[in-house]
Parts: sequence; structure tokens; C-alpha cells
Amino acid sequence: MNKTSIWSLKLNTAALVLIPAAVGINYIGKLFAGLLKLPLWLDAIGTVLAALLGGPIVGALCGAINNIIYGLTMDPVSFVYALSSIGIGLVVGVLARLNQAKNFKGIAIISLAVVLVSVVISTPINMIFWEGTTGNIWGDAVYAWCLAQGMPTLLASALDELVVDIPDKFATVFIGYAIFKGLPQKLVLMYNNDLEIEHLD
Amino acid sequence: MKEISLYEDLSTPVHQLGPLSKLFYIITILVLPVIWGSKWVTFIGILLSIVILISGKVLRKSLPIMSCSLLIILTVVVIQGLFRADNKTPVWQVGILIFYKEGLMVALGIGLNIIHLLLAFSVLILTTKPSDLVEVLVQKGLSPKIGYVLGSVFQIIPQMSATMETIIDAQRSRGMETEGNILTRIKAFIPLIGPVVMNSLIATRERAIALEVRGFNCSNKKSFLKSYEPTKGDHLVYIILTSILILSVIGRILLWLEL
Repeated sequence: MNKTSIWSLKLNTAALVLIPAAVGINYIGKLFAGLLKLPLWLDAIGTVLAALLGGPIVGALCGAINNIIYGLTMDPVSFVYALSSIGIGLVVGVLARLNQAKNFKGIAIISLAVVLVSVVISTPINMIFWEGTTGNIWGDAVYAWCLAQGMPTLLASALDELVVDIPDKFATVFIGYAIFKGLPQKLVLMYNNDLEIEHLD
Repeated sequence: MKEISLYEDLSTPVHQLGPLSKLFYIITILVLPVIWGSKWVTFIGILLSIVILISGKVLRKSLPIMSCSLLIILTVVVIQGLFRADNKTPVWQVGILIFYKEGLMVALGIGLNIIHLLLAFSVLILTTKPSDLVEVLVQKGLSPKIGYVLGSVFQIIPQMSATMETIIDAQRSRGMETEGNILTRIKAFIPLIGPVVMNSLIATRERAIALEVRGFNCSNKKSFLKSYEPTKGDHLVYIILTSILILSVIGRILLWLEL
């Protein structure tokens, strides 16, 4: 059996209705995290789920649309962070298609990759917009400490982002995966690209 | 149901302008400081956006948009003012903390840019119905499928918020603790988000079937319930903004040639 490419994309109705639901899940995750006063954002669970189900392109599309919606309704600054969301969707989708998303180790690798991508993309944006701070108390405390030690701003900013992202993205990916595992099979099959459909005529 | 949008339905002249005019306004007003490279242009832009928001009677509504960023700006002021590497000139001392001029100037620049950006977008966000904006973009050539995705987010999020309230009540009535130390609160997260997510994902299957049955994938040209024709006001806005842009570029080039 020839394997389908990791980039293969079925932008069918199933994938299209998945995106709004995923954006909604991102929103709810953020809302619950705020409600429970957790020191995390947890605002990418939907993007991770969409990427696990629909692959890298659907994941990326979901990330982009998520930030566009936030930008258009609540916080215009989130437009520029669309790039990090797109990166998260792509990475999770590609690694899931490479069959990483099956055991604890694989999920840890995906989380680590998400942390890296998010630091690499977000740090330059933080530098341009905020001169390096992230707006998270813990991260910014690290940033201030690094500057006081005389480290370069870029390094301080990357560390700032890293401190925030490690717990946040690990939690996000693991929660996303836990939900993914609990989904009914008939739903997962809707997005499975490996299956051939047999026609009777 | 709670809407996510901060849009307020009024009928001021600003509300009656088309969404495209407001998009064009955002682009122009954000490009101008880049062309001129001066904080004063940003400052004038902020004043202009405030005047437009006042005439649209929505200035007060822009506060929630500003509030979360204002907090970040405050941390930027503190951190840059105290710790920036090229800090030399002390201007202000509170106890043992010394604020420096260089850091504060950088923080001022960041603050102005962010407030400028937020106010410019507020003009669009607070005076345009999100679904109108999406529909105009689809009429101007955005793929109807992406249009559907954007539009349906605005419907799904209020539905999910309502489900969320129900789930919180249900889980609390079963004795789940949502307050207490951090471990308790982390443990509460999964039983709260799980049912909402399952619900909404299972609903996507039904939604997909419903859409297919109604010919969503059909490739005919789509028709629209409302058609948006630019009004006289829209044309006026286009002309004014285009001339400001052209004049700035010419002015900047002339200034550059003289140097």
C-alpha cells in the first residue's frame, strides 16, 4: 500500500466545519484557564486537535483563522501572532502524519517541537512589538533578571518566551492528545486520508 | 447568548460607512508613521482615531480592547525604564529604583505604536458587524468557503460559551472543586473542557452532513442576501485617504532628495 504524503489535504466539508469548532475550543480553553486562574494560556488546544485530525494544512489554517478572529473581535495585536499559530498547526500536523502521535514519548517530542517553533517565531515578534517582553509575569521577571545581568536583549527575550512556553505548550499538547484519544472512531475516520473509498458502480 | 464581538449597533455616520472604507483607513493610518518615521505622526494618528471613535459614540467601548495591552505596556515601561542596557540618564527615583531616560523613551515609542494600532482597529471592530465584514470580503473575491468558516466562528463561540456554563454547573453540582490550590484547579480543567469539546466536535459531523445536503460544495456562483454598494461617504473616504497617501509619499521623496 502506498502511503499518502504528509502534506496531503482534503479540504472537504468535514475539514471546513472542523476549523470553527477548533477555534471555539481555543477560545473555551483560554476562558477555562482564566476561570480556574491557571498561570497558563492554554489557547491552542483546538489548533492541536485540528492538526491531529486534519493534518498540517488544516492545522495551519485553523491557527491563522483563530488569530484573525481574535484580532477582529478582541485584541488586534493577535494578528501578528498568527504566524506562531500557523507554525504550531504545521508542526503538530507534520509530526502526527509521521506517526509520532501514538505514545507518551511521541507526544513529548511533539510538545518539544511546538515549544521550539513557538519560541523561534514569537521572539522576533516580541522584539519588534514589545522590545522583548511577553506580558506574562513569570516570563517578564526572567527577562528583567537577564537584562540586569547584562545579557543581550534577544537572548533575554527568547528565555522569557521559553519560560512561558514550556509549561503552556506541554499542557496544551497533552490535553489536546487526551481529547483526541477520547473521540469516537466514526469522527476520527471522517478525517483519515489513508482510507480508500470503494465505489460499487 | 453572549456575543464575542464588541460591536455596538448604532446609526452614526461612522457606522454607515462600508467595511472596506474602514479597512482602507486602518491600512493608511498604520502606513503613514512608517513613511514619515516620526512619533508625531503616530500621535496625530491616535488623536484622529479618537475623534472618529467619539463621533461614532463608541470611545468608551474601546477600553476593553485597550485594557489587556495597557497592562503589558505598563510592564514594558517598568522593565525598560529600570533595566535597559544603554540606560545612562536617571530621571526619576522611587526608593532604590531608578528610572532612566533612554529606557522610558523606548517604552514611550512602544506604547504609542500599540495604542495607535489598537485605536485604528477599534474604528473597524466597534462600528462594523463581523458578519457584514465577512460578507463584503466574500463579495470582493474571498473564497466563500473561508467566508463560511469565519462567519460560523461567530455563531459557534456563543453556543460553546452557553454549553460551558451548563457544564460548570453540572460538574459543581456533582461536587467537583473549581477553587483551591493550583493542583485542584489543574485537575478541574479536563472534566470541564472535555464535555464541551466532545459536544462541539460531534456536532461538526452533523453540521458537515447538513451542509453537504444543502449543496455547500456546489460550484455555482453564490448569490447574496444583501448587496453592498459604496455610498457617497465611502467614495469621499477613498478619495481623501488615497490623496493623503500619495501626498505623503511625494512629500517624503522630496524631503529625502533635499537631504
